[in-house]
Amino acid sequence: MNTSESFQALRRANPRARDGFAQSAEAAADALHARVIAAAVDAGGPGAPARRPTRRRLVRGSAVGVSLAAAAAMAAVLALSSPGVGPGVANAVVAVRDAAAATAAAAEESGTAVVRITHGGELWAGTTVRWNGEDVALASDHPRRQGRPGDELLVVDGVLYLLEDGDWVMAGSPASIDPDSGTTPDEYLAAVREDTGGATLRRMIDGMTGLTERRLGDGTTVYSGSAAAGLVARESGFKEGQAIRVFPFGYVAHDEAARPAAPLDADVTVGPDGVIREIAVRWGSGTSAWTYTVAYSRLGDTPAPVAPENARPLRERLRAGKK
Amino acid sequence: MTDGERARRRRFDALFASHNASILAYCGWRAGSASDAQDAAAEVFLVAWRRLDELPDGDAARVWLYATARRVLANQRRSERRRAALYERLALDAAAFPQGPPSASLEEALVHEALGRLRPRDREVLLLAEWEDLSAAEIAAVMGCLAMTARGRLHRARRRFRAVFEDLLAAETHTRQPAFREGGP
Repeated sequence: MNTSESFQALRRANPRARDGFAQSAEAAADALHARVIAAAVDAGGPGAPARRPTRRRLVRGSAVGVSLAAAAAMAAVLALSSPGVGPGVANAVVAVRDAAAATAAAAEESGTAVVRITHGGELWAGTTVRWNGEDVALASDHPRRQGRPGDELLVVDGVLYLLEDGDWVMAGSPASIDPDSGTTPDEYLAAVREDTGGATLRRMIDGMTGLTERRLGDGTTVYSGSAAAGLVARESGFKEGQAIRVFPFGYVAHDEAARPAAPLDADVTVGPDGVIREIAVRWGSGTSAWTYTVAYSRLGDTPAPVAPENARPLRERLRAGKK
Repeated sequence: MTDGERARRRRFDALFASHNASILAYCGWRAGSASDAQDAAAEVFLVAWRRLDELPDGDAARVWLYATARRVLANQRRSERRRAALYERLALDAAAFPQGPPSASLEEALVHEALGRLRPRDREVLLLAEWEDLSAAEIAAVMGCLAMTARGRLHRARRRFRAVFEDLLAAETHTRQPAFREGGP
């Protein structure tokens, strides 16, 4: 039996494919519709206020991004000048744009990005991303609130490895996966890059106010400004009926950052070599203060991730009794 | 009824007509009983009615309904647990993975058996992909995770399902003659 046969069997087992399902559903539809309308009227008719779903924390530790472009994208937000800027600001704009270009060039082949979110001064979530060519290593190190092991993932030579319960599992080669399933390592990597590609950059190009420049003793320069949250964290699907917005590298935006028009404080730190060292965005205050930072290092000389020697094929692991 | 109310009603009716069968099927497989499934589906569309102005259009509305159904079913399970603590374990297991119908074929029974051996989250993403025909991005929206995460889970779920199903099939073929493909039960 090949992969397709397994999944054909699964699809045949779909209750909706069963004889008579359509007729049963149609028969049930009228009663269901009447029941909903009656309940809606009881609840106050069309204008009845929506119930607020329980608000839950949305941050996920998973990372989305190999990327140089995240630096460029974030920097571009800050590089945008507002009407009436003076020569100093214009120079800052040029400097940040140059830094973004230099960072993108330096990071083209390889690099390391450490992404952190803090809330109320404490680490909320974090991920380290290392990339080298088409190979990627993601390691989530956010607090394990639910006692679950952190996500770790490797793509090496087109093979996807996942860390599960402390063991590396070889999740498969491209040849063993249904094409166009959206789950081959190539497709996985394409999705990783999508979030940080030109479209993301263009989406962010709109409005920035108050760009200032501050030189530090160690030779770095910090460019500070204010950016609308909607330019930094873009909309990405729905959760509990609400649109969610996501920062580069995949972190869900909270509080003010979830409101597109809200101004967020943002800094870009550029090293003496003209390459971006860190991008930081802040919002809220006191115990509700958030920070989102991306720190870049080893651009151009991050070693390629190595496939774990002890990785076991998934099938072998299943047979050993670990599901 | 005002023009606005009529327009609202038309939109709801169109939404209901397009998706009620899908939502009913989704709830039917995951709820503890047929009546629970009906309750859940009704609740989903009631929420949709109340929040109609916030609902996205097109495919996004379908994804919104699945996400709402998932939440309604989870609430239903929690209510069940509160109502009958002694029944908790049984209710959880039943809600998490209803068994196949008694009349299921051997192949279908093996599919259900294989699905039952998957982790709940793996099973959910697999079924959203294979039975509900959602893309990875849509699954992410339903599950409340990133598309990357959904792709990873889907990848793992496919591999697990295939491995478990083939093992079950091989075992069944070994103990039953003629072979499953040739004769069946």
